[in-house]
Amino acid sequence: MPPPPTAVATMMESTPAEPDSKVNRDILHVMEDTTFGWLALLLVAIGTVTGAGAIWFYQVYKGLGIAGYTHPIFWGAYIVTFVFWVGIAHAGTLISAILYLFRAKWRNAINRSAEAMTVFAVLTAGQFLGIHVGRIWKSYFILPYPNQRGLWVNFKSPLLWDTFAISTYGTISFLFLFVGMIPDIAIARDRATGWRKLLYTVLAMGWQGTSRQWKSHNRTVLHLSGLATPLVLSVHSVVSWDFAMAIVPGWHATIFAPYFVAGAIFSGFAMVLTVMIPVRRIYKLESYITNYHFENMTRFILLTSLIVGYAYGVEYFIAWYSAVEPERTSFWYRAFGPYWISTWIMIICNGVVPQIFWFKKFRTHIPTIFVVSVLINIGMWFERYVIIITGLSTEYNTSVWGVYTPAPAELIIMAGSFGFFSMFFLLFIKVFPVIAIAEVKELEIHAKAHGGSH
Amino acid sequence: MAEFDRREFLKLTGLSTGAVAAAGCGDPVSKLIPYVVQPEEITPGIAVTYASTCRECPAACGLHVRTREGRPVKLEGNPNHPVNRGALCSRGQAAIGRTYHPDRPRYAGPRKRVADGWEPITWDEGIALLAEKVREAGSGTYVLGGDPGPTASALIDNWVSAVGAGGRVVYEPFAAESLRSATKAVFGEPGVPVFDLSAADLVIDFGSDVLETGNSPTEHARQLADARNIDKHKQGGAHFVYVGPRLSMTASNADEWLPAKPGSEGLLALAIARVAAAHGAGSADDRAALKSLLDSADVEQAASASGIDKNTIERLGRAVARAKSVAALPPGPGLTSRRATATAGAVLVLNYLGGAAGRTLRIAPVSSAATANYHDALTLIEAMKNGKVRVLLVHDANPVHSLAPDTGFAKHLESVFTVSFASIPDETSERADLILPDHTPLESWGDAEPRKGIRSILQPTIRPLYDTRALGDTLLDAGRAVGASGLPSGSFRSVLEAAWSGGDWREDLALGGRFEGNTADSIALASSAARLEVAEPLIEGDGAYTLLAYPSPYFYDGRGANLSILQELPDPATKIAYQSWAEVSLTTAAKLGVEDPGQVIALETGAGQRLEVPVWPRGGIRDDVIAVPIGQGHDVGYFASAGDSGDSGKVRGVNAISLLPGAATDENGGRAWLTVKVKASATGDFRALPIGQTNDNKRGRQLGEAVSLSALGGAASTGHASAGQPHVSAGGHGDEHGASGGGHGEVHEIRQPYDPADQADEGQPYRWGMSVDLDRCTGCSACVAACYVENNIPVVGENNFRSSRTMSWIRIERYIGDGERDLRFGRGHIESRERLGNVDVRHSPMMCQQCGAAPCEPVCPVIATYHNDEGLNAMVYNRCIGTRYCSNNCPYKVRRFNWYDYQTPTSRSFKAWPEPMRLGLNPDVTVRGQGVMEKCTFCVQRIQDARQGAKDEGRPIRDGEARTACQQSCPTRAIEFGNLRDPQSAVAKSHAANHGEHGEPGPRAYHALHVLNTRPAVTYLSKVKRGATEA
Repeated sequence: MPPPPTAVATMMESTPAEPDSKVNRDILHVMEDTTFGWLALLLVAIGTVTGAGAIWFYQVYKGLGIAGYTHPIFWGAYIVTFVFWVGIAHAGTLISAILYLFRAKWRNAINRSAEAMTVFAVLTAGQFLGIHVGRIWKSYFILPYPNQRGLWVNFKSPLLWDTFAISTYGTISFLFLFVGMIPDIAIARDRATGWRKLLYTVLAMGWQGTSRQWKSHNRTVLHLSGLATPLVLSVHSVVSWDFAMAIVPGWHATIFAPYFVAGAIFSGFAMVLTVMIPVRRIYKLESYITNYHFENMTRFILLTSLIVGYAYGVEYFIAWYSAVEPERTSFWYRAFGPYWISTWIMIICNGVVPQIFWFKKFRTHIPTIFVVSVLINIGMWFERYVIIITGLSTEYNTSVWGVYTPAPAELIIMAGSFGFFSMFFLLFIKVFPVIAIAEVKELEIHAKAHGGSH
Repeated sequence: MAEFDRREFLKLTGLSTGAVAAAGCGDPVSKLIPYVVQPEEITPGIAVTYASTCRECPAACGLHVRTREGRPVKLEGNPNHPVNRGALCSRGQAAIGRTYHPDRPRYAGPRKRVADGWEPITWDEGIALLAEKVREAGSGTYVLGGDPGPTASALIDNWVSAVGAGGRVVYEPFAAESLRSATKAVFGEPGVPVFDLSAADLVIDFGSDVLETGNSPTEHARQLADARNIDKHKQGGAHFVYVGPRLSMTASNADEWLPAKPGSEGLLALAIARVAAAHGAGSADDRAALKSLLDSADVEQAASASGIDKNTIERLGRAVARAKSVAALPPGPGLTSRRATATAGAVLVLNYLGGAAGRTLRIAPVSSAATANYHDALTLIEAMKNGKVRVLLVHDANPVHSLAPDTGFAKHLESVFTVSFASIPDETSERADLILPDHTPLESWGDAEPRKGIRSILQPTIRPLYDTRALGDTLLDAGRAVGASGLPSGSFRSVLEAAWSGGDWREDLALGGRFEGNTADSIALASSAARLEVAEPLIEGDGAYTLLAYPSPYFYDGRGANLSILQELPDPATKIAYQSWAEVSLTTAAKLGVEDPGQVIALETGAGQRLEVPVWPRGGIRDDVIAVPIGQGHDVGYFASAGDSGDSGKVRGVNAISLLPGAATDENGGRAWLTVKVKASATGDFRALPIGQTNDNKRGRQLGEAVSLSALGGAASTGHASAGQPHVSAGGHGDEHGASGGGHGEVHEIRQPYDPADQADEGQPYRWGMSVDLDRCTGCSACVAACYVENNIPVVGENNFRSSRTMSWIRIERYIGDGERDLRFGRGHIESRERLGNVDVRHSPMMCQQCGAAPCEPVCPVIATYHNDEGLNAMVYNRCIGTRYCSNNCPYKVRRFNWYDYQTPTSRSFKAWPEPMRLGLNPDVTVRGQGVMEKCTFCVQRIQDARQGAKDEGRPIRDGEARTACQQSCPTRAIEFGNLRDPQSAVAKSHAANHGEHGEPGPRAYHALHVLNTRPAVTYLSKVKRGATEA
């Protein structure tokens, strides 16, 4: 292990219990100073959400035909974006739950924002299920509610699994975020005035920081981690089965579950970086989120990039090795057909570019990390685009092959999803501590006890 | 008045306001209003069928008009009618749209032109105005129109003489003038040749496009399919050769395609006749009589004129000599040149030498109906020009569209008081001064006589929707108002009844007409036959290409363009809909620099016209020909003109006729179409074509399979094809390489033991199944049109068609050859395997396969699609939330999604059924709303209908009682439908006869994409590749 961040050592003089400690001030000031930049970003975010909402209302009113769907490509940018956001949602739980269980301490500086991202990404992804269906006003049919007509849902359908997987994941992620935040909310409560005081008082649920409370809190987090860990693997596996269970060439592959999970973690980490780097800079959190964190994150990205790149290779190999002509044809068209640009964006952004993280120089060079993380986000969106769209474009019945291009409506709604996500995130950093104060302090105590070294 | 205090007042006010407000909310209450006096023949919910006649083309097929509660909802073929025997082509199917046409309200009653538009008038005023004008004009009155049927035609003739009018011109754009004159020249009697292809063993189509725009396509398609019935004729049956410059739908059904230079058909026919005569065809006397003519033929010359190999001509000549009865079909409208009489004559001579007389060829004497001659139309225009025509009555024709602009008809029409009898606006009626709208054929009395011996009747099946009057009645009233004598008394209906006297009127109505069958006239050669002068045609102009303007299979001369379904049907040869295109060869396209479909070229001819048309480069056309279909180019009409909202004035496609010189006629005054060279040049523009199928390479997959005759012969001799034996599925692996040719290359396929009847509940007496015989399917798309009408399938308009959002539940896929496995990436996204002379085209109807192991079913999260106990994939529209997963998982891609709401009159998108079209919807089928998935149901409403009757009688549904719309319409009976659990049903026999002994697909049967093991209820029977004629 590399040495722990030096920044922690500089914090040693402050007393953890003191409500106005440096850590508290450093982190909580984010919530207190409303800057013009923040306001502008929020307005932009709300603007795109409003625009997308208007388009969506128009779509419901007029019909899904305003999207770019064409026979036989009946799933398009909405599902692509749905899978993209579900993928983004993965880093949060991974960081919070799995890394917690593995006692990877470096997660402490980023877990709060990752968890928040998870909740907001799931929320964003969930919107697309509604946006995508033809009859939103009947979409409650997908819930197994008792009714006099004796209608029931189809438990064989991956879409139903998906509904459960996403809603379960959303619930657990929310609980995880909330429970983890209680001590910090209490700190905020102690400093806050006005409406914030009321809000934090309610949300802190009477937190006093007694050892009994800490004991219960730690146990709860541990148990939630245990519950959430399988979800990290299951949610995106289930999402991948939306495709793998179908017989569409390019979809019907056993590799899909691990492939999608790796891809999700990959994109999730990239999104955490994309979001945290500006936040860190704007709110001067450099002493909390350090090169140490970036190195670990980029290592994870490198690992998952290798897995994803391997999966790309395996897909092509199996397509060739299976000797199934529709499969081979589909993959040929994927790389050299009408979607070749998307495919090569995907391969280069996800498979090639992250390889620069083999070099320590780049693992700690923030601008590089930021650019690469954005490229990965783009690449991962295109990965889903390539899988979903090319699969449907060149299917078994050759006479009805088609080419899909996203319509303006889809692009606006997609942009709106970024606005939706950003809106929540921006509001979040104003209302809740963006770094887990308690855990950072814990780390601090540990560092003190071990004399600045693990 | 009692005390009315403030409280009481407020209470009442509040209550009544609330009540009014509450009543204003929610859907308006509509009431079902029962009949007060029940009409005798109508039981609500029960269909009543009336016999009538289709007026969409001169073939005059018999109709059974299915009506519900007094409204026609579906047209079907009349099984008793000798022309179509129960089938009905796509044009006939779509014709129901005329009665409910959204343009009709504009002609909802008589109207006259005033300074700033139209003014509605009463019928009395209209007839008085007509009478006044006729009285003034006297012999300056002329009648111009198509064939309205023999009785109406006789009445018009009568009227013309009674009122002292100048004359009557019968005008049909595609009148077979040259064929009549050729018949006169070769056989000495005026008449039209009537071919019976079912008796032929060699059919050579010299470009008549017999299956699409010939003079009786439905009838000939049936006959040809019978003559080639592979179950009866183990050697393949009649050999079918197509001669023509492009791979038309008819050509794609031939065994051999000779891409001859257009116009060389006569030389070619004569050369073939000469070789045949040299090999002993015909009697010695005939050969002697024709000696001078045959001697004038020269195989070498024909070969160089036509571009057809000399050996091929000789081979065909020998085949003619060997054949017992040849049917050689003279060129159709598109190939009618200035020397068409001699060309058609040469083909008739070939028929005669090939033993056609009395077997495959009969001559129908010219019927009493007036016959059209283009020369008369030109004379009339001349008279208009000279001011001799003062009043022109136009009925059943749209000459402004179908006459070339350089005839000046439209221009001279302005100076003439024009009366139109159109029931739906068209280019001619819009230029008229007085509109006296006729009924549509479904509202009319009338008759038709396609040829001697077949008299077919029209009876009204609905009370006229608008204030229209029959042409005959209008003329009678106007004649009486003029004071003409000699007109029959009574109404047109009484005139019709009088014309049909001598029989049982009610029986005629029930049967649909009087059919005496073909009278076997003896045919003898006339001496004039030997004097035919067959030569290369005169094709004028200085362009590099010959312009081939051919009738569109759906629009014919343009009359079909205002029918929504026909606009949306993809053309059978190119799969383009809604637009015009110019077919050019790949070489020509490269030379012109327009290799991408949709690049625009300018076409210029000596006629002074210039058209800009997007190109469709294809392998299936000669390099020296540019072909443009006739029929589009309308600027009037909801569906005929462009703009999905039906904006009139915006032209849809181009009118190819405007490139042609109007004055061109053949030796006998008939209209010549193949007359000009055309100059083509790229314009640099691009207009994307609405294309329905972008790929005709099946890549060796189990789609559109074909099997060679030799492979089939081997299989048949081992006893696989033992018809009538129900097959037993006793397990056991049919672990064999498919014999069905193609698609089995390197991959070793394991075929499961298969019994589709298993795919329904045990104990259920029914498992519905279908068999589709690709050897009989011609690609005509009648089934597609029938499905649209039967199942209330919305048309989606041009823009949605471009996005491949058609809703058709059945489509005709067109594959060429066995396909290639190699992965080549073609230009754009359009890949075609067409090439000159290659006819290995498979038309494969694709509808829901009602799979036993349906991939669509498990993926639906709400069970909106499920397997019912009779083995059907049922679709619950009300349950569907529109995730569209079912379509993704359907390998056949037969599911359709309602991207918009097409159904309501307030639809926010394209309106599939603008008022009053909703009146014609089938009440037995749900009209689907926005956001739900739909697909073929095997016409479940028809199954239920049959079940009602069977239940009442306490018996199972009989075979043939439930017939799907596609099956019903198919001219060649390529589709069989029925109960697979009943071993005696036709479909079970078809399955049994073509499957292997363990139920695995057999020599000709296959399941589409069987490697996926979806266990479809549809069995396809491979097309049989018969190959070229033997040497």
